Amino acid sequence: MMAATFKCPPTTGLHGWGIDASTPRSSRNFVRFYSMRFACNTRYDKLHHVHASISHASFVDPTSLSVSHESSIESTLILIRHGESLWNEKNLFTGCCDVPLTKRGVEEAIEAGKRITYIPVDMIFTSALIRAQMTAMLAMTQHHQKKVPIIIHNESEEATTWTQVYSDKTTKQSIPVITAWELNERMYGELQGLNKQETAERYGHEKVHEWRRSFDIPPPKGESLEMCSKRAVAYFKDFIEPQLKSGKHVMVAAHGNSLRSIIMYLERLTSQEVTSLELSTGIPLLYIYKEGKFMNRGSPVGPTEAGVYAYTQSLSVYRQQLDEMSPCE
Amino acid sequence: MAAEVYYQAIGTLQSHSYLDNFNHHQKHKSNLVRLVTRDFISGNGLSRRSSSSVQRNCAVIQSLAFQTSVVDPVLSPSRSNAGDNYKKSNEAALILIRHGESLWNEKNLFTGCVDVPLSKKGIDEAIEAGKRISSIPVDVIFTSALIRAQMTAMLAMTQHRHGKVPIILHNESERARSWSQVFSEDTTKQSIPVIAAWQLNERMYGELQGLNKQETADRYGKEQVHEWRRSYDIPPPNGESLEMCAQRAVAYFRDEIEPQLLAGKNVMISAHGNSLRSIIMYLDKLTSQEVISLELSTGIPMLYIFKEGRFIRRGSPIGPSEAGVYAYTRRLALYKQKLDDMFQ
Repeated sequence: MMAATFKCPPTTGLHGWGIDASTPRSSRNFVRFYSMRFACNTRYDKLHHVHASISHASFVDPTSLSVSHESSIESTLILIRHGESLWNEKNLFTGCCDVPLTKRGVEEAIEAGKRITYIPVDMIFTSALIRAQMTAMLAMTQHHQKKVPIIIHNESEEATTWTQVYSDKTTKQSIPVITAWELNERMYGELQGLNKQETAERYGHEKVHEWRRSFDIPPPKGESLEMCSKRAVAYFKDFIEPQLKSGKHVMVAAHGNSLRSIIMYLERLTSQEVTSLELSTGIPLLYIYKEGKFMNRGSPVGPTEAGVYAYTQSLSVYRQQLDEMSPCE
Repeated sequence: MAAEVYYQAIGTLQSHSYLDNFNHHQKHKSNLVRLVTRDFISGNGLSRRSSSSVQRNCAVIQSLAFQTSVVDPVLSPSRSNAGDNYKKSNEAALILIRHGESLWNEKNLFTGCVDVPLSKKGIDEAIEAGKRISSIPVDVIFTSALIRAQMTAMLAMTQHRHGKVPIILHNESERARSWSQVFSEDTTKQSIPVIAAWQLNERMYGELQGLNKQETADRYGKEQVHEWRRSYDIPPPNGESLEMCAQRAVAYFRDEIEPQLLAGKNVMISAHGNSLRSIIMYLDKLTSQEVISLELSTGIPMLYIFKEGRFIRRGSPIGPSEAGVYAYTRRLALYKQKLDDMFQ
């Protein structure tokens, strides 16, 4: 498998994690600044292997630092690939057939939720398929924030009217969820519903491998990865990136191929590199969007891992504020 | 008449067997339609009919055999055609499940048609409900257009023993229809079509949606709020009364769901307090007085047997280990037996 090159953010050296005794304290806005040193790894076949270690600690002016009001806007982007579906279990090509999660897929979604429980989420984008939507909703039951995801309905005038919310307060405690077919899994055409082994026997392993792993060769009546990328990345650029630009924290719950396409855009991968990119299921990937650039932050290990929150100043402040908000938890 | 309704557009499951040359010649663009009747289970193979609805490009329900190769064909009643609806031994199971706790239930906010997902508790309730019906046959699933009912159905079905796979049908556009097509007969036979319908949505609560129940009582007075919530025909501002909700829910049930039962399909409906109450009002022939005091437990499935045009309430399945549950009818008992044998 070809290794993709991995762009490493500049390292900042190693420092300790501790309170500098000489720094004055203010109550809520006392801020520590950590940055992370990445262990750069040129093998890109599993994205969740990236390790982060704590580095820098220095005192920063604590006045009025909250997640959304920084002068240099920074937002988080979480990508989650859904877990096992009932056809994955049966080894059938799924594509855009709307098949739900297995028990295991349900557990994977909940596990993923635990890993991102302290990472802020203002908006959620999912595909039009139930397995991605369920993954997002299951994951959010684990979220610390207690805001409520609400799926936005725009399919008709009636749907929009019927789903209207009449309380400002409630709206503020809501996370809009937008479903988009453009984030669907790659459409597999005439292979949808076929058994993988059978298909290999019928067309030959090579042909099937070519359909599955080439960049621009579609299965009969289906999409190539290139076609899938076109519509997924266009959607990302038109609808998701503007949200990040305005400082919103976004979660995208989707599928292997639509997410690979987006990562191809975020990381500027070549078509060679993207075809060998494998995304783990149910393991969220974190990116920080800052000044028009996307920084891969690997995979949050879990809520107890202090290192996770040292990604950026604003994330660590956010975590701090959450801790102070709920001392009994 | 029922046959006509049967062909009506309520969902699409188009399947095209890659291997089957016979199908290949009959293909109209991407709209091959196949009707599998219950003759299938008597081992005669698929009987195929393409109806005139193919030209209309209408969606057609592909009926799936209630029992697959597991069942002794002698025991299953045979049907000569889809129009023969009132055969004596024709019997179908109808399961009603009200979804469990949603995130707004938890916060005590009026939800109505706002599309709010399940809480952790709601998820557990759905799985529990699934365990209770794990041995009751399901051929087709109807849900509302709201995620909490859909999730309830999908979570419940992860517990089902027969191993068939629910597949949500998509009809919102030509693209949705063609993109979600299945190309294997075998796979289609192992599938349970899931149809999402806004007509099964919760009662629309108008300007109360998103409001805190206590606040609303403070603002409008407890009596007014009680009236909106519990009267039959007084709607909240810009909302639906229970009567209005019942109108669209029962109409949908009669037009789209009952024909399935008439054809011998076992149906599960996953929906909401008010849409299910409306349907039960129809099934049990309740008065409007009776229905407003009807409370449905969340996450506890209700079983009805549909036989000879009548709905017989069978209460709530206690759970898979309760032998009594499957003694409702001979057919159900046999089904359970087959599952037990399969998994021995």
